[in-house]
Amino acid sequence: MSKQPDSSLFLLGTSHQVANLNERESIALPNSSIDSFYNGLNALPGLQECLVLNTCNRTEIYGSADATFQFESLLQYFANFRELGLEFLAEKTYQRTGAEVVRHVFEVASGIDSQMVGETEILGQLKKAYDEACERGATGKALNRLFQKSFQAAKWARTNTGISKGQVNLGNVLCELARRIFGQVDQCRLLVVGAGEVAESALEAFKSRGSEAITVTGRTFDWCPLSRRKPDELAQKFDGFTLAYSKFHESLHLFDVVLASTASSQALLTQYQVVQAMKKRPSKPLFLIDASVPRNVEEGAAGVDNVYLYNMDDVSAIANENLQSRLAEVEKCRHALSKRALRLWEQIRAQPSLPS
Amino acid sequence: MNLNDVRDLLWLATACYGASFVLGMVKTRHSFSPFFRESPFVLILAGFFLQTRALYFRGLEVHGCPLGNGMERAQFIIWSLIVAFLLLRLVWRINLLGTFCAGASLLLGALSLGLRKWDAPYWTATGYVRLFKDPWIELHASIAIFSYGLFCLLAVVSLMYLSQRQALLSRKPGFLGPYLPPIQELEVAAIRLLAVGVAFLTLSMVVGTMHWTRHPEFVSGSKLTVTTALWVGYLFLLGMRLSNRLYGSRFAKWSIGLFALALLSLSIVSSKSKKQAFYNPSLAPLALVVR
Repeated sequence: MSKQPDSSLFLLGTSHQVANLNERESIALPNSSIDSFYNGLNALPGLQECLVLNTCNRTEIYGSADATFQFESLLQYFANFRELGLEFLAEKTYQRTGAEVVRHVFEVASGIDSQMVGETEILGQLKKAYDEACERGATGKALNRLFQKSFQAAKWARTNTGISKGQVNLGNVLCELARRIFGQVDQCRLLVVGAGEVAESALEAFKSRGSEAITVTGRTFDWCPLSRRKPDELAQKFDGFTLAYSKFHESLHLFDVVLASTASSQALLTQYQVVQAMKKRPSKPLFLIDASVPRNVEEGAAGVDNVYLYNMDDVSAIANENLQSRLAEVEKCRHALSKRALRLWEQIRAQPSLPS
Repeated sequence: MNLNDVRDLLWLATACYGASFVLGMVKTRHSFSPFFRESPFVLILAGFFLQTRALYFRGLEVHGCPLGNGMERAQFIIWSLIVAFLLLRLVWRINLLGTFCAGASLLLGALSLGLRKWDAPYWTATGYVRLFKDPWIELHASIAIFSYGLFCLLAVVSLMYLSQRQALLSRKPGFLGPYLPPIQELEVAAIRLLAVGVAFLTLSMVVGTMHWTRHPEFVSGSKLTVTTALWVGYLFLLGMRLSNRLYGSRFAKWSIGLFALALLSLSIVSSKSKKQAFYNPSLAPLALVVR
C-alpha cells in the first residue's frame, strides 16, 4: 500500500472485529518484546511518531509519517517480528489513514469499538499505552494531540450518551444491585458460600469497589479438604476471612450480602433460616444472591420483609437489558464522535508543521 | 399572563414545577448537554420564586399569612415542601428528589388551582376580620404549615423508597430503579425528616397552646382534637421507627398515609374561631382553616 495524500496519520491493527481469539493471540505482542518492537518501528524510513496499543482484545500501531514512508514496510516489519505470513496479517488486520484514524481512536477510547460495548477499561489501557510511548519519546505533536483529544472525546461520550449506562458484567450487576440497596458498596459485609466462578467474579467486583469485609465459607471445609477450589484459597486471594461452614447459618444476620454458589443439590438456606436471621436485623435489608443450579436458597425467602433475593437468571436478564440499551446508543455516539473527529482532523491538517 | 396576579403567578409556578418534573424524568434516560443539565433544578427555583411572589401578593391582600382557604394552604404546603427540599439539598444530595418534589407540587398545585371553590375570596367579604390578629398565633400557623411541608417531603421520600423497593423486588432494571437513591439512604432521610417535622410541629403546638390557654375562645374543639391527634400520630410513628418496631415498607406506607390524613384534616379543622364566627357569620360556609 502506498501512502495516501492524507495519510500523515496511519493505523495498523487487529481486534475482535476482524480476528478470532486464536488469530489475535498469534498477532498480539508479548509484553517482553514491546521494547524491541518500538526500536524496530523507529528505524522504519519516514516514520516520525508511533504508539503501540497492546491489550488482550486488540493490537494496534498508530503512527505519523512523512512522504517517504511506505505502509508495506510496516506490514512487512510486523509480519517478520511476529513470524506471520504477510497475507495472513493483511487479511486479519485493518489499515486506516488520515481522518479515519482519528475516528477510530475516538471510538476505541469511548468503548464503542469494544467487545463489551461501553466498557471503561480500554480508556485506562489507552492512557497507559500513551504514557509508555511518551516515556520512550515515540510520540510527537500529531499523536500527542490525537490521543489527548481522544481522552476528552471518551469523557464526552460517557457523559453525554448512554453507552456506559447500566452494568453488563455479572459481578458489576451484583455490585450495582447492592448499591441500590445499601448505598456504599465498600461498607457492605459480604459472605460468599462456595467458590464457583460467579463467586470469584462477584468478589472481584466488590473488592474493586473497596469492600473490605469479605468472608468466604463452603462445604469443602468440612467435607473435602482436597477439593480443587477451596474457599480458604479464595478468601486468601481477596484478603478476606474464612468462616466454618457449620457456623454459617447462625452468623447469617451479620452479613448484608450473601452469595451462594455451590454445587449442592439441596437448599442450603431455607425460608425459616432467613426469617430467624432477619429477626436479629429487622430494619436492615439483606441481599441474597443464589448463583447455583439447582438453587441453594429457598424461593420462599424472597417473601421475607426486607429481603431481596436474586438468582442468576435475574442477574443475567438485567445485564442483557443493560447491554441492549447501550447498543441502542452506539449509533448516536458514533455519529457525534465522527463529527468531532472530522473537526480535529481539519485542525491537524491546518497546522503547517505537520505533514498533510 | 399578568405577573402581578396571584393566580396567574401560581399557575406559572405550577407549570415550572411540571416542566421540571418532565425534564427530570427525561434526564434519567437521555443525556442533556451541559448547558441544560441543571434545567430541572433551575425550573424548580423559578417556580419557587414565582410562588413566593404570589403568596406575598396574597399576604398583602389578606393582611397576614395567606392561610385562609384551601388553595392558600395547599400552596403554602408546596412552598414549604420546596423550602425543605432546597435546605436538604444544601447538606444532602438525593437523586431524583427534586423531580419527585416537582411532581408532587405539580399535582397538589394543579388540584388547588383547578378547583375554583378552594380559592374563595374570604377577604373581600364585608366585615372581614383578618385571620391572625395575634402575631403568636400567626407564628403558630406558619410553623405548623412548615412542618406539613416537611411531612410532605417525608411522604415524597417514602414514595421514592417504595418505588425503589418495588423495582428491586420486580428483579428487572425498570424505568427508574437504577436512578433512584438506595433504599437504606432513603430510609435514613425519612427518619431525619420525620424527626425534624415532629420537632417543628411540637414547637407549633407549644406556641399554639400558649395562645389557647390565654384565649380559649379562639380555638374550636374539633381543631384542638384533630391537631393533637395528628401530633400524637407523628410522635407515635417516630417512636415506633426509633424502636425498630416499624421500618421498611410499612414505615414508608405509614408516612404516606399519615400525610394523607394530615391533608384531609385541613378541610375538617376550621380555624374560624368562635369570635370570628360571631363577627362575620356569613363566612361560616367557607370554613376558614388555619391548618
